[in-house]
Amino acid sequence: MRVAPVLRRTLAFALLWWVLVEGSSVSWGIGLASVGLATFASLRLWPPAHWRISYAGVAAFAGWFLLESAKGAVQVAALAFQRRPDLAPRIIEISLALPAGAATVLIVNVLNLLPGTMCTDVEGKILRVHVLDGRLPVVEEVRAAEARIARMLGVTQ
Amino acid sequence: MPDSAREFFSAVFLVIGAFFYLAGTVGLLRFPDVYTRLHALTKADNLGLGFLVLGLAVQAESLAAALKLLLIWPLTLAASATVGYLIARRARALGISPWLRPEDR
Repeated sequence: MRVAPVLRRTLAFALLWWVLVEGSSVSWGIGLASVGLATFASLRLWPPAHWRISYAGVAAFAGWFLLESAKGAVQVAALAFQRRPDLAPRIIEISLALPAGAATVLIVNVLNLLPGTMCTDVEGKILRVHVLDGRLPVVEEVRAAEARIARMLGVTQ
Repeated sequence: MPDSAREFFSAVFLVIGAFFYLAGTVGLLRFPDVYTRLHALTKADNLGLGFLVLGLAVQAESLAAALKLLLIWPLTLAASATVGYLIARRARALGISPWLRPEDR
């Protein structure tokens, strides 16, 4: 096993522990044990070579996601305060190009926070999405989200 | 940052956060069915929480405490997106059909 991923993860979990105890140095005994166990568990559950996630890709995705989820909140807030909320809901079916597993779980969760989409179920490759306003180009937005996730995870669609 | 500037930014963020919580709750009460209500809660409350933890983090006594507050946000985002999906899926399984505009029926 290569050393670099082990070191990186140990450092990340140590940082997390430091945050959780708010910088206190009293409980580092338990902290070191927890960091060791967490690193071990993460290496077992998510082997380093599994995906080629780039940090730049994650940062780009996070920026896009923040902006989009803020848009979603503004849209819902505007609808909530309208005299008669101008809703035009419908359920659409989209055939996913992402591989099953973690990538599908991620897109379901991401879509639930993006403007106007809420997944209701996944059946194999078919994703059913409840749409707040069917007059908007939702399919294109789902496709765009899918492409971004594929790019971030380094998976081919 | 001087304390007065801190308090100013903290207050601005907290008020914005409270506004989105209010919007989410108004949506929950006014939207017509379980699916549209889920939209209101997952989207508006999440941005509300983001501004709330930001407002509190500005006031935090140490960097670690501020980061701990900010860490709450992504964890809650993940939980609320997943819970939203579970409720919507259950509603579909129970055969609850979504509300439609009169002209779409």
